[in-house]
Amino acid sequence: MGNVKIRPYEHLKKEGLYNLDADIPTITYNHIGKRGIRRIDGYAKASGKAVYTRDIQIPGMLYAKVMRSPYAHARILKMDTKKAEALPGVRAILRYDDPEIKGRTLNGSVGGPDRMASQFSGFALKPERVILAEKACFEGQAVGAVVAADSEEIAIEALRLIEVDWEQLPFILDQEEALRPDAPVLLPGAESNKLADFREFVEKGDVEKGFKEADKIIEFKARRHAHLWAGAEMPSVVVRWTEDRLELWNHSQHPYPGKLLLSEQLDIPMNKITMYSPYQGCSFGERCNPADFSINGMNVLAVLTAKKAERPLKLLFDRSEKFYGESGDMMVSYFKVGAKRDGTITAVDMKNIFAVFQCTPGIEHFLDNTRILNLRCKALTADVSKAPAWWDRCEQLPNTFCLTLVFDHVAAELGLDPTLVALKNDGCEGHGMDWLAKYKREHGFPERDSLKECIDAGKKAIAWDKKWHPPGKNTLPNGKMHGIAFTWDHEWDDVRGTGSAAVWVENDGTVSIVAQQADIGVNPWTAYCQIVADELGVPVEDVTLKYLDSDHIFSLMSPDGSCNLCSNGFIVRKAAQKARALLLDLALNSFEGLDVESLDIKDRFVFEKANPENRKSIKDIAVLAMPMHNAVGTWTQPPIVGWAWHNHGIWGDALETGRPRLCRQAHFMEVEVDTETGVVEVTKVVNVNDVGKAISPETIEGQMYGGTYMGVGRALTEEMVWDPQTGVLLNRNLLDYKYATIKDCVAADTIIVETQLGHGPYGTVGVGEDIATMIPTLLGPAVFNALGIWIDDFPITPSKVLKALGKA
Amino acid sequence: MKHLCPYCATKFDAFEALKEHALSVHRGEAVPLPEGMIRLTVNGQAYQIQVQPEWTLNYLIHDKMGFTSPKMFCDRGACGSCTVIMDGRPVLSCMSLAIECDGKKIETAEGIADAGHPLIESYVKHHCMQCGYCTPGFVTTAKALLDRNPNPTEEEIVEALGGNLCRCGTYPQHPKAIREAAGRLRRKGGE
Repeated sequence: MGNVKIRPYEHLKKEGLYNLDADIPTITYNHIGKRGIRRIDGYAKASGKAVYTRDIQIPGMLYAKVMRSPYAHARILKMDTKKAEALPGVRAILRYDDPEIKGRTLNGSVGGPDRMASQFSGFALKPERVILAEKACFEGQAVGAVVAADSEEIAIEALRLIEVDWEQLPFILDQEEALRPDAPVLLPGAESNKLADFREFVEKGDVEKGFKEADKIIEFKARRHAHLWAGAEMPSVVVRWTEDRLELWNHSQHPYPGKLLLSEQLDIPMNKITMYSPYQGCSFGERCNPADFSINGMNVLAVLTAKKAERPLKLLFDRSEKFYGESGDMMVSYFKVGAKRDGTITAVDMKNIFAVFQCTPGIEHFLDNTRILNLRCKALTADVSKAPAWWDRCEQLPNTFCLTLVFDHVAAELGLDPTLVALKNDGCEGHGMDWLAKYKREHGFPERDSLKECIDAGKKAIAWDKKWHPPGKNTLPNGKMHGIAFTWDHEWDDVRGTGSAAVWVENDGTVSIVAQQADIGVNPWTAYCQIVADELGVPVEDVTLKYLDSDHIFSLMSPDGSCNLCSNGFIVRKAAQKARALLLDLALNSFEGLDVESLDIKDRFVFEKANPENRKSIKDIAVLAMPMHNAVGTWTQPPIVGWAWHNHGIWGDALETGRPRLCRQAHFMEVEVDTETGVVEVTKVVNVNDVGKAISPETIEGQMYGGTYMGVGRALTEEMVWDPQTGVLLNRNLLDYKYATIKDCVAADTIIVETQLGHGPYGTVGVGEDIATMIPTLLGPAVFNALGIWIDDFPITPSKVLKALGKA
Repeated sequence: MKHLCPYCATKFDAFEALKEHALSVHRGEAVPLPEGMIRLTVNGQAYQIQVQPEWTLNYLIHDKMGFTSPKMFCDRGACGSCTVIMDGRPVLSCMSLAIECDGKKIETAEGIADAGHPLIESYVKHHCMQCGYCTPGFVTTAKALLDRNPNPTEEEIVEALGGNLCRCGTYPQHPKAIREAAGRLRRKGGE
């Protein structure tokens, strides 16, 4: 072949791709994994000085509000805006039939040649995607008009003055009802309400054969009702046009892709758009898909209304308008499971019927982390008259729902300890533990049994061997029934992601990480500083993340796509390594006769390895590297900036290119059930997470106890309730949509296991999504253990408990 | 046309008569505030501001005066994020009318931070924030608690924070941080 020259771009791509092998650390951990490192967003947030989109005001700014459909399914026959236009303080009204918005649909975000196609918008599979619609397909949809006025109150008053003649149309709320042959079809011209999905049918092995091999066949039905993110900050966007230049301050996890979508949608050159990302008041995936209405649609409406008003404006939603979607696990499930007496599961057959959208089909974790050979999943999705659904911390909810229920039903039916059933079936894509051990060996990972380590730690913490009892057999002295339960899973939080960042050594030797990242609270910036400090050999106090709030090239993953640190950790590490090489190269001027290999960096000094006394401070070296200087600076050197890009690749069954899940997690819960009132109290939660390698232990624990509250809320109280007579969502507020307060649940025990089996840098894997996703369904087996009755209908409210007990 | 005395609301037919009345009866009195004008002390500094009757205290101090810490989260009275301290009591600024706050002393999280209160540093240390949007509301609620109870028990803290929502679930860290700040304050007081 001779010498094949690798083109620079190919070289860059090669070094930025994920490597399947274990990531063996080459540095000393001075800050990585240490407690007590001050979080760099802490003061700004505690003092209230951190600025969120909602806080932003710019000179001359108007306030814009969107009209909402009062009906679950209705069409505008006529709309008269004359009275609204006459209201003093109204500056512009964008009508659904104005040429710039008429019929305009959301555009999609999936990459490749079809990337902007509408069918990918929001991944929500809601068939009607008009941004400012003439016809509403759910109550609360943006329809009719947007008003820009001098104040929010005037805008709201103007919306009230718009006169609309509506034609009401039939609506459906229940997905099984929507699939009946006699159901009215919601989408004009469609044959039925069934929505097409490429993941409709998943099959592996032969389930009929698996059932024949089983000692026991277990069948049951389960249901999850609608819930949603209900994040802290209500959405808003601030928009300013200056000639043909457009600025947006955006509540979105994806500022850069959001800019791409907006550019395609409205034909504005990307280099004329600046997308700022202030602090983000919660996200949980709600603000992550820039193609969703609440981001893409909102941005389009704000930009067009600002254009029409010829003024900057802030378009804002109130709390009731934030109930614009649901988690994509509104599902009814039918299970048939075959198991042997020893707990070996021989076949799982499931049918899941989703409303609006299926986040995930429900079977995937059986594929990802069990040795079960025979699996089948039919996943149907029906359109109903509810808002678009998508992922809500996180899209794995259907998978975790099915995994927990199947494993705990099997253990209960066989009278086995559920921890043993988990260990009996742990594996990967039909392979057992021997296969996993071989994989670990061949790829340089430690040969540790993650699930066993997690289970052992959790059992000890909750005193499982002492407390676990047959169902319905433990009445406490206070008269309540005690229940205890366990579930498990792999950790999926290392799946994918692409991002970029630069590390810049400034002239005084301090270090800046330069990248845009929408901060949503998982303390990533401190973790990146820890990594960069250790890679460079400087104290963590010398490193900061430049609060780069606009889209200047470098952009780090926000925690979505289920990947944050596993992608971004590689990015900042590679960038730090490049900056280190540049710094050493520049240092050679001060170390005559030496080469780069003979130098090292520690505690703000570059030194000769063989003679540490021979040293020079980073500051004295970096002082030459000037991004700019005045005319006489002939001594200047180029700035010390290393930048990197990383693509974290894929996981799953294409093992030649993907990777198996190696880290596991175990969750334990205790409850007390009052059989008189039906009230369930969660009295203890133990979360055990194998995070591979902890970078910031306090941050991990924050996810572990924090996610517990979200999980307990989802399990006990969180439910969106629609009026069956009108299709109107009844609890569009935080008094009637209840989630956990400090008084509703005890703090969870948090146990961090570090096996270094993660696919992230230094063997890490994430932790942010699992707990809030696993805890809700764990309540089911806990209540079963208390009462001896399954209530597979979530949330498990007191009325359902009483009904199950025959008392209501 | 009637002329109204701004001091006592007596009516006069002629402006000259009003002028004579004001100078003779009310000489030396402070000029009364026009309708809608209120005086506030915010974080120790005096303000005199014209407000509209429908303005909430939150709208006034967040939108008009530029204090970003009282956050709108739930939209009306359900979450505690807009809490400010008014004359020593934690109040929901979104549920208070600005016009009714004449003469009140207000503290916000910014003021608590600028005064070097140990709550802020112990909040940072104990990771009492994730997204941080609700954090200032916790800080003001906690400061008001410590002002009236310098050594609160865990139960008293949980009770005081029962009206503050945090979607990220930072709850368990707050009692730790508040207890630590209380200890520091007591030590400082004992010096």
